Amino acid sequence: MRKGQPAVPRDDQMQEQVENSRPPPEPELPVSTGRRTRAGWVALVLAMVIGLVTHGYNAFRYPLYLTDEGIYTEQAWSTLREGRLSPYTYFYDHAPMAWIVLAGWYGILPGQFQSFGNPINAGRVLMVVVHVLAVFLLFEIVRRFSGSTVAAFLATFIFSVSPLAIYYQRQVLLDNLMVFWVLVGLYVLARKDGRIVTAMGAGGAFGLALVTKENAVFLLPGFAYLMHRGVTGHLNRRFSASFWWFATLSPVAAYLLFAQIKNELFPAGMDFNLNSPPAGHVSLLYTVWWQLHRTAAGSQGSAFAELLRSSWLPRDKYLLLGGTVAALAALLLGLGDRRRGAPLIGAAVLAIGYGFYLGRSVLLDFYVMPLVPLLSLCIGLVYARITRRIKPTAAALVAVALMAGPLATPGGYLLKYDQFHRLVGVDQYRISLTDLQHKQIQWVRDNVPPNSKMIIDDDSWVALHEDEPKFRNAHSHWKAASDPDVRDNVFHASWENLDYVAMSNRMRPAMEQNNGGGQEDWILQAIDQHGEQVWQASKGNVELQIIKINH
Amino acid sequence: MQPILLVAITALSLLLTAQAAHTLYLMIYTWDQPDSGAMAGVPDERADPSLSFTVIVPARHEEKVIQGTIDRAATVNYPAHLVQLLVVCSADDTGTIARAQETIDRLNAAGRQDAQVVVFDDGPVNKPHGLNTALRYARNDVVAVFDAEDEVEPELFSIVNTVMTQEHVRVVQAGVQLMNYESNWYSTFNVLEYFFWFRSRLHYHARTGAIPLGGNTVFFDRELLESVDGWDEFNLTEDADIGLRLSAAGEQVRVIYDHRYVTREETPPTLGHFIRQRTRWSQGFMQTLKKGTWKQLPTRRQRILAWQTLAFPHAQALLGLYLPVAIITAFVLRSPTIVALISWLPVLMLAAHFVTAVAGLYEFTGAHGLRASPRTVLTMAFTWLPYQLLLMYAATRALRRQLMGVGNWEKTAHIGAHRTPDTQSAATDSVADSTATDSADSTATGPAANEEGATGRAS
Repeated sequence: MRKGQPAVPRDDQMQEQVENSRPPPEPELPVSTGRRTRAGWVALVLAMVIGLVTHGYNAFRYPLYLTDEGIYTEQAWSTLREGRLSPYTYFYDHAPMAWIVLAGWYGILPGQFQSFGNPINAGRVLMVVVHVLAVFLLFEIVRRFSGSTVAAFLATFIFSVSPLAIYYQRQVLLDNLMVFWVLVGLYVLARKDGRIVTAMGAGGAFGLALVTKENAVFLLPGFAYLMHRGVTGHLNRRFSASFWWFATLSPVAAYLLFAQIKNELFPAGMDFNLNSPPAGHVSLLYTVWWQLHRTAAGSQGSAFAELLRSSWLPRDKYLLLGGTVAALAALLLGLGDRRRGAPLIGAAVLAIGYGFYLGRSVLLDFYVMPLVPLLSLCIGLVYARITRRIKPTAAALVAVALMAGPLATPGGYLLKYDQFHRLVGVDQYRISLTDLQHKQIQWVRDNVPPNSKMIIDDDSWVALHEDEPKFRNAHSHWKAASDPDVRDNVFHASWENLDYVAMSNRMRPAMEQNNGGGQEDWILQAIDQHGEQVWQASKGNVELQIIKINH
Repeated sequence: MQPILLVAITALSLLLTAQAAHTLYLMIYTWDQPDSGAMAGVPDERADPSLSFTVIVPARHEEKVIQGTIDRAATVNYPAHLVQLLVVCSADDTGTIARAQETIDRLNAAGRQDAQVVVFDDGPVNKPHGLNTALRYARNDVVAVFDAEDEVEPELFSIVNTVMTQEHVRVVQAGVQLMNYESNWYSTFNVLEYFFWFRSRLHYHARTGAIPLGGNTVFFDRELLESVDGWDEFNLTEDADIGLRLSAAGEQVRVIYDHRYVTREETPPTLGHFIRQRTRWSQGFMQTLKKGTWKQLPTRRQRILAWQTLAFPHAQALLGLYLPVAIITAFVLRSPTIVALISWLPVLMLAAHFVTAVAGLYEFTGAHGLRASPRTVLTMAFTWLPYQLLLMYAATRALRRQLMGVGNWEKTAHIGAHRTPDTQSAATDSVADSTATDSADSTATGPAANEEGATGRAS
């Protein structure tokens, strides 16, 4: 055989040879492999600085500390201080990954819960850090999928300045950490280096998102689509896909295993009757079953349309309307160019999947938060697609014009008219609300004996349990109403065993809404028939009180 | 007592998890590497034949397959005058000698030179002694080792000639692949073990510079082989041993794996043979570990890899012994949740290995133009744990033999299940006569072969 002469395979090997010798097909997901230019670096750093400023400035003062922030902070406190997932009975209402991370954060801070004043503030610092990292991730996801720095900047700009984003992303919420893991997963997926460990890492990140907040499951179709399209054409596609799924499901399996080890996976007697919760012990699957059957009536949630009208659209109509249009456009553009349109389709399916969840579930208003980065992603990718044939400078100018609109318009991202029709800055950069909560806690410290039996809201729980003097008998009204350990053992469900009630803003309506079975009756009776207001503070429509129960 | 037990369980679980994760990574190593094609690939263009080869085929009770193997080795796509063919047998194996001689006579009559049967009548009667005996008759540039049941790939010599001359390497390990993945319940996993070993793991070993070579389809520069005095005749895995000795000497090994050019083999025909083969391999690794060649490897990374590889059967045996303890402990011991969770990590890794096996099955069948059925996957799901238990049993058996000083060679029988009908030289007669354990060939007590091949003869 002469040099240069190709080897001749046997006939029965021809098919194999063809498969082996052909060059690997072009990957289906278009990827920017170009290095970041200097302008690209500047844009990325600028985007992160914008994220830091918009989320960090005034974050300790606005918005009010929310009940849910308090719940997750107290569960992180319990993890760190008691080695438990909750100071009360953990009933699998959420997977614990988020507050384990939060506990780790508090653990590494030199001052732990006291690092930044109120314990929730340290959690808010973590949220700002997470947001800045999320800006980096979103920027890179859009840039890698579209190749457009301008589009990446546009997406992250919206993600950072939208009032909807700022309001909820400053709060210590599971959704913020869930979104972070989702973005990590997408970022790793967008690396497209063809390695199995990359797919595994993307799956692992998404798995962590699932055990951070379960509603991430509605992002599964979009995520899985992007992954499968990403590995198509690679010689290791079988391994990559298998390990993506494996890594995704592993944290979920660990969560189920955790419940099973504690004998809390199934309800006692396999009783899934929603009308009479099984006695004996809590159950993960029973809680899931209960959550699947929750309706807006009689529960703490509201319906999608109501929240959209009363809360979300007033905060940021630009993002919600523009993002929805972008998601639909992404779907159409992607379907029109299936080979290169995978990122567009994937982003659209992610947003639509989450929108589907919002449309069908019982909601709290912050549930909208994950939609913000998903709609921003759609806007970025669609913008990159429709401006791909024009010069980058022109695309940048158009983007600046688009960004300037909501910034300059009163009622937009920066300015609004106050009640005197004066042009002022928007609340998130100007108003202080949490000072009322600080004053309330301080009054308790100054005037209430530490051994008093108190009903509080969760937002002040860690402050009262961590700082000296400790108020060990201060409990959340949710637990005082429903947790037998607290209701029966501490208060014996009687107003006579209650000394003070520290009312947070809108705690009264929440108690009434939570009173479907009469479980809050004894607290309401204490307030209405034996209570005396001893402290009160208000600002705008926010009002806090402290009520002493006279025996 | 309980805290100590809990710490021990946690430590063992983490250790097993780390070991399993590393093994898993080695299994998928080449698929994970962007340059895997260049790492394992066969040159697209072939160099002119310049190297001469001596093919050594050690055979023992291989009457059923030896003729086909010789025929195939004699008709490779390489100039005949550059290929010397040596079949090496023990003098007591008259059946194989007769069959081999018959074929070689036919080849000689057809004008083929340099083909002969080498017979030895000294001990130990085992493969490394046969190889060393044949090595003394080898006179070509490169020594190639094939097993008696191998289907020698015709293009292989041309490929190795190209690799050795162009890449200036003196040792080449080409792929070996079991093919009969649906023969019985354990054959699927056995086939996949070979697949992952040659397709992936060996490349990592080669790149690191600590490679336990395979027993066949391996090519050595003859002078290099002679400089290290050939194979260790008292080692049950002389192939792994020589690989590590050459690695310690700084020799770079090139591993080739291309589905088109693998040497096809078969899984052991019965469970008993499988266990004996696996016992031999496990014990051979234990011997090689004890021998300490790995300590001579130049870098810590190489030493750790070699140690980890050689110590694996020990770990497997200990796991086999630990399993009943673990089951009892699970019922008796009340452990903290975190300890219980950690103790499940090895199970997670076991599941990861299963996922890898299933993906590997589709890779293997896809590459060889075969078709994996969901039924096979379902069977794998049920046989996965029993197979792991089987491996643990073999490792435990090896450990017991090692501790008792039993070191005889337990031979694996071959029936040609991997061969297509036209290449299978023998019919499907009973293999009972070739499947007996060779209890007489004790390598522990046999004399070492003397110099100059005094007890060997060529016929």
